[in-house]
Amino acid sequence: MNLKELYQEIILEHGKNPRNIGKTENFNKDAKGHNPLCGDSVHVYLKLDNKNKVEDVSFEGSGCAISMASASIMTDLVKGKEENEVREIINDFLGMIKINPNLKSKNLNDDEKTKLMCLSGVKQYPMRVKCATLSWHTLISAIDNKNEEINTEKFD
Amino acid sequence: MNIDTIKKEFPIFDEKIQNNDLVYLDSANSSQKPKVVLDRINEFYRKQFSNVGRSVHYLAVAATNLYENTRSSVQKYINAKDKNEIVFTKGATEALNLVANTLGQTFLEPDDEVIITELEHHSNYVPWHFLRKSKDIKIKFAEINEDGDVPIENIEKEITDKTKVIAITHLSNVTGSILPIKEITQLAHSKGIIVVVDGCQGGPHLKLDMQDLDCDFYAISCHKMYGPTGLGVLYGKKKWLEQLPPYQGGGGMINEVKKDSISYGDLPNKYEAGTMATAQVIAFDQSIKFLESIGIDNVIEHEKKLIEYGQEIIQKNNSVKLIGNPKKRGGVLSFIIEGIHPHDIATILDEDGVAIRAGHHCCQILHDKLNIPASARASLGVYNTKDDLDKLNDAINNCKKIFDLK
Repeated sequence: MNLKELYQEIILEHGKNPRNIGKTENFNKDAKGHNPLCGDSVHVYLKLDNKNKVEDVSFEGSGCAISMASASIMTDLVKGKEENEVREIINDFLGMIKINPNLKSKNLNDDEKTKLMCLSGVKQYPMRVKCATLSWHTLISAIDNKNEEINTEKFD
Repeated sequence: MNIDTIKKEFPIFDEKIQNNDLVYLDSANSSQKPKVVLDRINEFYRKQFSNVGRSVHYLAVAATNLYENTRSSVQKYINAKDKNEIVFTKGATEALNLVANTLGQTFLEPDDEVIITELEHHSNYVPWHFLRKSKDIKIKFAEINEDGDVPIENIEKEITDKTKVIAITHLSNVTGSILPIKEITQLAHSKGIIVVVDGCQGGPHLKLDMQDLDCDFYAISCHKMYGPTGLGVLYGKKKWLEQLPPYQGGGGMINEVKKDSISYGDLPNKYEAGTMATAQVIAFDQSIKFLESIGIDNVIEHEKKLIEYGQEIIQKNNSVKLIGNPKKRGGVLSFIIEGIHPHDIATILDEDGVAIRAGHHCCQILHDKLNIPASARASLGVYNTKDDLDKLNDAINNCKKIFDLK
């Protein structure tokens, strides 16, 4: 893994033009996240329908290409999925970004897996792992209705 | 000592870092260490180690003398009147906490005002914030101008008859602005206001003359001055250090301890509770000697040329914007690149062996004011060369290429 593989087209593209930016209309869950080391911040908004399916999801925030791309790809992927599926995807992603070589989730198709694997390069850059995981921890917090701001310093 | 060959004195530059020659541009964070300092730590632990100030055996006496030698060297280096005006601390952060805490205990009343500037490092804000919480003091921020300087008028504007302390940086770790400490102190003293200086960046880059500056307190970070980590110096005028209460209690700082009463030791022991960073203090003497052997005037001249060169090449580089345009800039070039977040810049530069810092550099107030979440910072030390700055520029260009910027 080298730098070019970390900053590949898809990350740069999502970093520059993040999808799902803004505040979801009529959101029913939300959470804020913050990385005190670098000042990155994210606010995730979620609208679950009455069957606990993600009807819409969006985020606001500022940060580096890695954190913006990660939030952008994440929000794209979880849209339309059920809450328990989303939880499973988050765990799978966090596992992959830290130790696992691959994604195992049955709730992601191959195309979605390929997209997410673009972020696997941060493993080689320990100082940047939290950039990639900030929005994912924040999404869990939103789902769980934890009314506390996510602080990346509190995670491994 | 020839400043052009000074890099050779620093063993780290013999190392390949991720297969690259190291271009170290993070000295405002912490400087690299010359061989004399490293050797001194090793030699002390191997051949001379003992705790200081306690035992009567040979090694203890010898170590105590070495420890006190550094105090005298620091006294001379910063032109303090008395060696007891030099207090060793865990770092400049502890030095500033010591001042805020002890002034807070005895001298500051609710509604009293402390003036700091928008340039301050969190170390010179948070300790005063503690007093805002515990003693109900007020903190006022002297504003920066559009160049990132704090003109003396902006400090004067904030002074009222409630102002008790002005706590300011000597040299900003983000904009590189050098503040007119001498003039600010004259103004402050004419109104009976205490002046506390955060000298973290002043220490390595400026001539330190306490008689000339006349400030009441000056905090130094030894690891930014080619010395070991875990060590700082607080200079305080004797009249203050004698008057103020101890900061921490423990061994070494007492005179007599009874069940119903305790009396404290004299200066400087009063402020040096517990076992101090002995080896670091003793090795710091070598840092002072190292700086003296080059001559601070030569250091200043060398860094001035580098800063001018760095400003020139960075300003020529499209989409790169320098932070601040101070009248006098020391040691630091902070910048942003339109369209690339500073953390991405730092990671990509690192791959080319160029070590910079990205983030808010413990100055969130300043970054909020400038309306940017973070910046990239290249900071200099005596070992840097024009070649380092060329490599910085090349790495910036590589970064722009990856992000497809012109």
